[in-house]
Amino acid sequence: MNRFTCEEAFRRIDDYLDRELGPEETRLIEEHLAICASCLREFAYEQSVLDGVKRKLRRVMVPRALMARIQAELADAAEPDADAE
Amino acid sequence: MPELPPSAPAAASPVGRPARDREPFEGLLQEVLPPAFGVALRLTGDRPAAEDLVREASVRAFQSFASLDPGTSFGPWFFRILVGIWRAGHRPRGAGPDPVDWEDTPDLLLYAHSHGAGLPVAGSDPAAELLERLGTERVDAAIERLPEEYRLITLLYFMDDFGYREIAAVLDCPAGTVRCRLHRGRKMLQKALWQAAEEAGIAPARQPRTEGA
Repeated sequence: MNRFTCEEAFRRIDDYLDRELGPEETRLIEEHLAICASCLREFAYEQSVLDGVKRKLRRVMVPRALMARIQAELADAAEPDADAE
Repeated sequence: MPELPPSAPAAASPVGRPARDREPFEGLLQEVLPPAFGVALRLTGDRPAAEDLVREASVRAFQSFASLDPGTSFGPWFFRILVGIWRAGHRPRGAGPDPVDWEDTPDLLLYAHSHGAGLPVAGSDPAAELLERLGTERVDAAIERLPEEYRLITLLYFMDDFGYREIAAVLDCPAGTVRCRLHRGRKMLQKALWQAAEEAGIAPARQPRTEGA
């Protein structure tokens, strides 16, 4: 296989963006993107959607009280023979 | 059962230590808590329930830490415990938002609709404007509309940097199932995001197709 068509590249867009393709298919995708502005725009847009959703969903703070509670429970669990007494 | 993937060097787990050695465990736990709390929050839809889930998973993981196999990644292992606890105690949440489906949903829906609506589709971060205008609450609401099996897999994907094999290890399913569901989950999410954009007036509402048109 020498080159990917637009359709062949498009079929692999998720796997490519997720870095799940092998080196040969990755190379073929990148060669295609280097010569196809339309596919490059679509791939870049998809990457931007993924990055944007990640940024939004990851804006979560772990409550300090939860951290403290977990640490206290771990301290209890780490006590030697805590359950046996 | 799929094997848990080997850990990345930076996240290597100090395996084989006694469970009562808290320091290495807490170091690993600190890294995984933010994504774990984010996943728990969206799975339970309730902050106190999410805190309970994460707390219980942390204690159980600590109790099993000594049995963690050498070379096993801590993150997927921890999430496997968390998801197991959630599933065991999970009760349907009752009527939620209208679920979104993936049939008849085209690939690259946001790109196609944004292009059609004159929203940016080129540049260094072309979807940023749309997502910023949607805001975190609407993105969360769109995730909420995914059917449960897709919501879980999509959350694991977005909240941590897990690959297909790692998600498969968390969910005890083949990597091919993860790939397929993730693909559908993304399509559904894009559909839900676009509908949210229409409802918020960020994007022009598309005219429904008429019979024979």
